[in-house]
Amino acid sequence: MLYGLIDCNSFYCSCQRAFDPDLKHRPVVVLSNNDGCAIARTAEAKQLGIKMGEAWHLVRNERKLSDVRWFSSNYPLYADMSRRVYQVLLDYSPRVEPYSIDEMFLDLSGFSDSLHAHCGAMRQAVQQITKVPTCVGWGPTKTIAKLANGLAKDRPELEGLCDLTDPQMRQRFYRNVSVGEVWGVGRRLLPKLHDAGIRTIEQFVEAKPAQIRKIMAITGLRLQAELQGESCLQIAEMAEARKGMACTRSFGRPITTYDEMHEAITGFATRAAEKLRAEDLDAAHIAVFIQTNRHKRDDGWYANQFSISCEPTNDTFTICRHASRLLKQIWLKGYRYAKAGVMLNDLAPHGQQSTLFSMASTKPAHENLLAAMDGINQKFGSGTLFPLSAGIKRDWKPRQAMLSARYTTRLKEIMEVNCY
Amino acid sequence: MNARYAGDRTTGFASPASDSVEGPIDLSQTLDLANPSRYPVRVRGATFAARGILDGDILIADTAGSPQAGQLVIAWASGRVLLAELQKRGNAWWLVSGDNTHPPLEVDPARDVEIWANVASVVREKA
Repeated sequence: MLYGLIDCNSFYCSCQRAFDPDLKHRPVVVLSNNDGCAIARTAEAKQLGIKMGEAWHLVRNERKLSDVRWFSSNYPLYADMSRRVYQVLLDYSPRVEPYSIDEMFLDLSGFSDSLHAHCGAMRQAVQQITKVPTCVGWGPTKTIAKLANGLAKDRPELEGLCDLTDPQMRQRFYRNVSVGEVWGVGRRLLPKLHDAGIRTIEQFVEAKPAQIRKIMAITGLRLQAELQGESCLQIAEMAEARKGMACTRSFGRPITTYDEMHEAITGFATRAAEKLRAEDLDAAHIAVFIQTNRHKRDDGWYANQFSISCEPTNDTFTICRHASRLLKQIWLKGYRYAKAGVMLNDLAPHGQQSTLFSMASTKPAHENLLAAMDGINQKFGSGTLFPLSAGIKRDWKPRQAMLSARYTTRLKEIMEVNCY
Repeated sequence: MNARYAGDRTTGFASPASDSVEGPIDLSQTLDLANPSRYPVRVRGATFAARGILDGDILIADTAGSPQAGQLVIAWASGRVLLAELQKRGNAWWLVSGDNTHPPLEVDPARDVEIWANVASVVREKA
């Protein structure tokens, strides 16, 4: 087997750049929900010293950053561009696993002779078709492919491609690289490994299995095998069925009144129910949480959540009713709430769980109403039609003051070209 | 109006066409919009009116493929997004104006002039 990992460079920023020639040579930063902090930076922005997670409101007026273009995150655009990258990759690999929105595992078995040329052509095609630059790494296991990808990204002399199929090459590399670079070895695990005298990848690979097992259980043994070229992790072409569905948001400004919070929770419940129906699922457990800002405890701090089990449903109005009841249980006046959400759990295919003694099975007329609502929202945009109790003004919505056009998903927002 | 009636499920006489329903033509297939290389863009200006491209039209840009002489292309030139005709002179590609109101512009990434996509189709929305 041969696995590859392709990773999009500064993906969100690259998506913004794909449609705006003005951004070509400028530092670009994309901010998290609510325009909070930097979550994607181009190389130029990194050079200016902008850190991952840097708070925008603290640095926005710094003179040395006056050339930076800041963007609110535009997820409709990023999702569609990720879809495009994925589809281009299918021309170069029979099986592609979208591991995250900006990195995908590839099955490269069968291209052994000309991998360098093959991956180079693939990278070139993604760049030309989606305008997104990438790096590719490959090797006999997913863990090695991920390591190779990191190398391709960090070492410009590799020109975006890194091959770790050769065991001798790997050995040299393992000797000099920290075990912390390995996929799945997080900051929490690292001190434990250091205590056991394991610092490099080589030391990790050569450690006794019993020792590794004690530190990180079966995952560690699998990792050891993967690093030695023995494949344990296969390509998963699709995410497994969902275990839960959530809709949570940070507010653009604190919410202090029950009415507004009720609107917000109803809105979240509406959106979560819509997501359920899109995947033809029912939920049998509903949870609601509200919390104040964790970082501003001077104003008093409060967080609570409450949940109930219910008959399996995907009906917006039923779920909203449950969510309202839950909110009443946990609402406390006098706090400045910063975040809230609705979580749906115990998911199962729609209609499957309804029992013989089920009291209120959804009436067909009601199903038609929901289907019509989904149809309209799909056609005219999410949130076109919603229960009135979700509120109309909703000025607590997350800030997205620097949102670009949705160039590829909205006809009214496509790129403009000037006749020469 | 019930949008689900498609010529099949009649109430009185059974529709002889019930096994033959094909639905309306889907132009997004014709325009191949699901293809990852296809991007709709909006036309501003009228220098290509003689070639049937008017202000406000939608072009389907295609970022795959290689340049061809005579093609309409979308190009990036020093921060501007341009619709132009591509011509070859010697070894160089040039962007040519639709009505000769601008001098030809050489395609040269080093001077910030590059091709973004070919133009594959033209769409005019109903007035």
